[in-house]
Amino acid sequence: MSEAAVIPNVTTPEWELPSRGVVGMVCLIVAEAAIFTIFVVAYLYYVGKDRSGPTPREVLDLPIFTSVCLLSSSLTVHFAVAALHQARRGLCSLWLAATVLLGGIFLGGTAHEWYKLIVHDGLTIQTNLFGTTFYSLVGLHASHVIIGLIMLSLALIFSLNGSMTAKHTGRLEVLSLYWHFVDAVWVVVFTVVYILGR
Amino acid sequence: MAADAPVPAETAQTATTHSAPRRLVLDILNDWVTTVDHKKIGLMYIGYALVFLVVAGIQALLMRIQLSLPNNDFVSPQAFNSLFTMHGTTMVFFVGMPILFGFGNYLVPLMIGARDMAFPRLNAFSFWISAFGGILLYFSYFGASGLYGAGSAPDVGWFAYAPLTARVFSPGHSTDYWTLAILLSGIGSIGTALNIVATTICMRCPGMKLSRMPLLVWLYLVTSSLVFVAVSPLTAAQIMLMLDRYIGSHFFDTQAGGSAVLWMHFFWIFGHPEVYILILPAFAFANEIIPVFSRKAIFGYAAMVAASVGIGFISLSVWAHHMFTVGLGAGANTFFVLATMIISVPTGIKLFNWLATLWGGKIHFTASMMFAIGFLFQFLIAGLTGVMLSIAPFDWQLGNSYFVVAHFHYVLVGGILFMIFSAFYYWFPKMSGKMLSEKLGKWHFWIFLIGFHLTFDFMHVPGMLGMPRRIYTYEADRGWMIWNMIISSGAIFQAAGTLLFVYNMIWSYFKGPVAGPDPWDAWTLEWSTPSPPPAYNFAEIPSVASRRPLWDLKHPEDPDSNYE
Amino acid sequence: MHTDPDHLDPNVIQLPRPTAWPMILALGVSLILAGMVTSVAVAILGLGLCLASIIGWFRQVLPHEAHEPVPLEDAAIAPTSARTLLPQTKEPAAPHRVETFQLATGIRGGLAGGLAMIVPATIFSLLKFHSLWYATNLLAAGGFVSWGGASDAFLCQFHLQGLLAAIFIHGLTALLVGLLYGAVLPMFPRYPILSAGVIAPLLLTGILHSVLNVLSPLLNQRIDWFWFILSQIAFGLVCGYVVNLQTRLRSAEFQALPFAVRAGLHGNHGPNSIDKKDSSR
Repeated sequence: MSEAAVIPNVTTPEWELPSRGVVGMVCLIVAEAAIFTIFVVAYLYYVGKDRSGPTPREVLDLPIFTSVCLLSSSLTVHFAVAALHQARRGLCSLWLAATVLLGGIFLGGTAHEWYKLIVHDGLTIQTNLFGTTFYSLVGLHASHVIIGLIMLSLALIFSLNGSMTAKHTGRLEVLSLYWHFVDAVWVVVFTVVYILGR
Repeated sequence: MAADAPVPAETAQTATTHSAPRRLVLDILNDWVTTVDHKKIGLMYIGYALVFLVVAGIQALLMRIQLSLPNNDFVSPQAFNSLFTMHGTTMVFFVGMPILFGFGNYLVPLMIGARDMAFPRLNAFSFWISAFGGILLYFSYFGASGLYGAGSAPDVGWFAYAPLTARVFSPGHSTDYWTLAILLSGIGSIGTALNIVATTICMRCPGMKLSRMPLLVWLYLVTSSLVFVAVSPLTAAQIMLMLDRYIGSHFFDTQAGGSAVLWMHFFWIFGHPEVYILILPAFAFANEIIPVFSRKAIFGYAAMVAASVGIGFISLSVWAHHMFTVGLGAGANTFFVLATMIISVPTGIKLFNWLATLWGGKIHFTASMMFAIGFLFQFLIAGLTGVMLSIAPFDWQLGNSYFVVAHFHYVLVGGILFMIFSAFYYWFPKMSGKMLSEKLGKWHFWIFLIGFHLTFDFMHVPGMLGMPRRIYTYEADRGWMIWNMIISSGAIFQAAGTLLFVYNMIWSYFKGPVAGPDPWDAWTLEWSTPSPPPAYNFAEIPSVASRRPLWDLKHPEDPDSNYE
Repeated sequence: MHTDPDHLDPNVIQLPRPTAWPMILALGVSLILAGMVTSVAVAILGLGLCLASIIGWFRQVLPHEAHEPVPLEDAAIAPTSARTLLPQTKEPAAPHRVETFQLATGIRGGLAGGLAMIVPATIFSLLKFHSLWYATNLLAAGGFVSWGGASDAFLCQFHLQGLLAAIFIHGLTALLVGLLYGAVLPMFPRYPILSAGVIAPLLLTGILHSVLNVLSPLLNQRIDWFWFILSQIAFGLVCGYVVNLQTRLRSAEFQALPFAVRAGLHGNHGPNSIDKKDSSR
C-alpha cells in the first residue's frame, strides 16, 4: 500500500518532535503540582485556626541542614545526567550515589523531626488541624522523595553493573526531571510550613 | 472482530490467526487482556462505558418510576438515595469519561498518522484501573459493611458534601467504596490524559503541524490538559477524605474546626472543569462530523482552536457558581458570576462557527448529522439556562431545584449524549467495517428526540414550581404531579430509543452492509486506512500538507495546501 | 517511533509486544484499595501482584522496549471521491463589491442620534416636571452617589456638574452604541432602519430594564419607560438614517454574499472562500 496517504510532491525537510518521555513527565509534574496545590491550600486555609495546641511556632524547628542536602541533590543528579551523556559511567555512578545519599539524609531528617513531634510534643495527625495538615502535606512530599529514591537507587544499581549506557541518557534525564520537581515542591513546602506558617 | 473483512486487507486480528481460523474463546480473551493496541483499548473503553450506560440508565428509570406519582413507594427512601448517588457517579466517572477517552484513544493516533499511543502499556494500565474502579464501586452492592449489609451502596450524593461523609454520619464502608472507586478512576483518567497529550505532541506524522491538526485532536489536547488540573484536585480531596475516615484527621471535620465549605471548593474545582472535560470531546466530534456532512471545510479553524483553549482556561475559574447558595460574599459572587458569563463567549463563537459551516453547504441528513444538528439546538438551550443560573440571585431562587437538574441534563444528554450517538453513527463503520442501518438510526433519532424533550423540557417546570432535587417523594397537592408524569413518560421513549440503538449496533455488526475504507467521503487520515484498521494503522507513515489530507489526495487539481 | 532501527525487513512492522503486566498492576492497585474496605488478605494479595507486575513491566521496557513483528498486509487504498470539482475560475472576472462602513460613520451616526435623543427627553422633562433640566440631572445621578436620595425639586434645578456629567455619560453611550450600530448594520442589509432603528432600541431597553436597578437605582425609580423608549427609537432612527446617508445602498450582489462575508469575518478572502467549498453540486 505504498502511497497510502502520502501526499505527492510534498517535502518535509525536517520533522523533529519533542521526546515523549520528557513530555509525559512534564504532564505528570503538572498533575502532581495540582495535587500539592490543594494540600498547600488546605494548609494555608487552616493555619492559625486551631483552638488547641501545639502550634507550629511552639514545635517546629527550621530543618535548614536537610533542606540544603535535598536542594543540592538537584545539582548532583544534574551532574550524573551530564556524565552519562559524555559516556563517563564511573562518574555517573558517583554522582548518582551522592544524590541517593543526600536524599537519604533529607528523609532521615524528616523521620527524626516526626519522631520528635510525635513522642516529645505529642502532635499526631489526630491532635488538631495543624497536625492534620502538617503531616499530610509533609508526608505527601516525603512519599514522593521515597519513590524518587527507589528509582534513583535502581538507576545506581544499573549504572554500577554496567547495564546503563549513554543510550539511556534520555531516561535518566526524565528521572532527573522528576527529582527536580520533588526539590522544587520542597521549596514551596518549606516556605509555607516553616516560614509563612510559623 | 469482523471475520469477513470488508476490504482486501485482512485485519490485524485475522492476520495473526492464519493457521487457526477458529480460535478458542480463551485465546481471544488473552488477546484483549494483554493488548496494548490503542484501537482495542479504545474499543474496550467504549464497551465498558456502554455497559455502565445501560446500568446507570436503568437506575434513572427506577427513579423516574418512583417520582412519576405522588406518595409513591416503588423503592425505599434508602434505595432512592443510593440510586441517585450511583446514577450520578456512574454517569460521570464510568460512562462519560471512559466513552470519551475511548473515542480519543481510538481516533487520536489515527488522525495524526501515528501507529500507536506514546505510552502503549500505560494506556492499557489506565484502562484497566478505571475498569476495576467501576467494578469496585458496584461491588459495594454486595460488599459494603463487610458482606453482611448487602445493598449498602454509596448514598451521599455524587458530590458527597461534608459532613455527610464523616464517619459518624456515614458508618460502614459505603462512602469508602465511593472514595476508592473515584480514586482509581482518577488515576486512570490522569494516565490516559497524559498519554493523549504526549501522543499529540510527540507522535504526529511529518507535516502534521499543530496548525494542521484536525480539530478533534486539538480538543482532545485541551480536554486532556484540563484533566491534569481538574482531576488531580479531586484525587487530593479524596485522599484527605480517606485520611479523615481512616486515621481520624480533621480536614472536613466541622467539630474539630475543619471546614465543610473547603470540601465544596475542592470538589467543584474538579467538578466544573469536569463538565468541560466531558463537553469538549462532544465539540470535537461536532468539529469533524458537521463539515463532512456539510461538504465544506470547517469555518474559522483558528477561532475554533482559540475558543477551545479559552474555554479550557476560563473553566478553571468558575467553580464557585455551584456554591452561590453557600453565601460567599458579594465580591466572590460577582467574580464567579462574571467568569461564568464570560465562558459563554467562546462557546458562542463555536456555535456560530458551526452554523457558518452549515451555511451554504450541501447538507447530507444522515443519522449522524441529524444527531449533530439536534446537538446544536439543544446545546444552545442548555447554555442559555446555564447563563440564567449563573446570575447569583436567580441561582439563590432555583439552586438545588429540578430546574438545575433539567439544566445539566440538557448539557449532558442533549449535548454530550446526542454527540456521542452522532459519533457512533459516524465512526462505527471505521471501527467495525460495517455500516449502521440508516433507517434504524433515523427511528432512533426521532424516538430519542421526542423522549428527550418530553423529559427535560418539562423538567424545568417543577423546578420553577419549587420541587427540590433528590427528594424521595412528594404530596399530591403540590401541583408537580402532571409534570412528573410527563417527565417519566419521556424516559420510556429514551429507553426505547436506546434499545433500538443497541439492536442496530448488534444487527449491523453481523448483517450490516460492508463499509469500505471511506464511506462518508471524509478528509481526515483515519479514512485512509482499511475498516477496521490493521494493528499498525498505516503501512507507511503518511505525510500531510494541509488540514484535510484526504481532500488533497482526492483532488490533486485543487489541494487545500494552496490556500492554507 | 517504535520501529527498531536494526530491523530492515520491509514486510514487517514492529509494534509494542502485548503484555498482561499493566492489567495485573492495575488489578494489584485496585486490590490494595479494595483491601481497605474488605480484609487485609485482599490487600496483601494486591501488594504481591503489584510487586510482581512492576518487575514484569520493567523487564518489558528495560533495557529495550519489547517489540513484536506484525506482517504487513498489502492492500493499496487510494482515497478517491465520487464527487468532482466543477471547473472554477481562479480569479473572478469582476471582484465582488463588498461594502463596509468606516468607523467614522458609526461615530457620526451615534452623535447625531444622541442629539436627536435630547429632543424627546426634554419634552418629557417639560411636560411632566416643567423643567428643562430634570432628565439631565436624572442621568447624571448615575454618576453621583450623593444624589441618591435627591428630591424632584432638586433635580429640576440647573446644576453645572450635573450637566457636565450627563453630557459625558450620554456622549460616551451614544458613541459606543453608534459604533456598534455601524458594525452590525452590514449584517442586516434588507431593512436597516427597521431592524436597527426600532428592534435594537427595544432590545436595549429590555436589557436596561432588567439591570438598571443595579446601575442607577435612582434612575430606575423615576424613569418613565414610555418616554425612554420613545427617545431610544428617536436615537435609533436618526442614527440609522445618518449612517445610511454615508454610503449607497448595498448592491444585490452584496446581499447574495454569504453571511460570513457580509459580517466582515472573511475580509477580502471572499471569493476564495466560496470556491473552496466542496463544489460538488
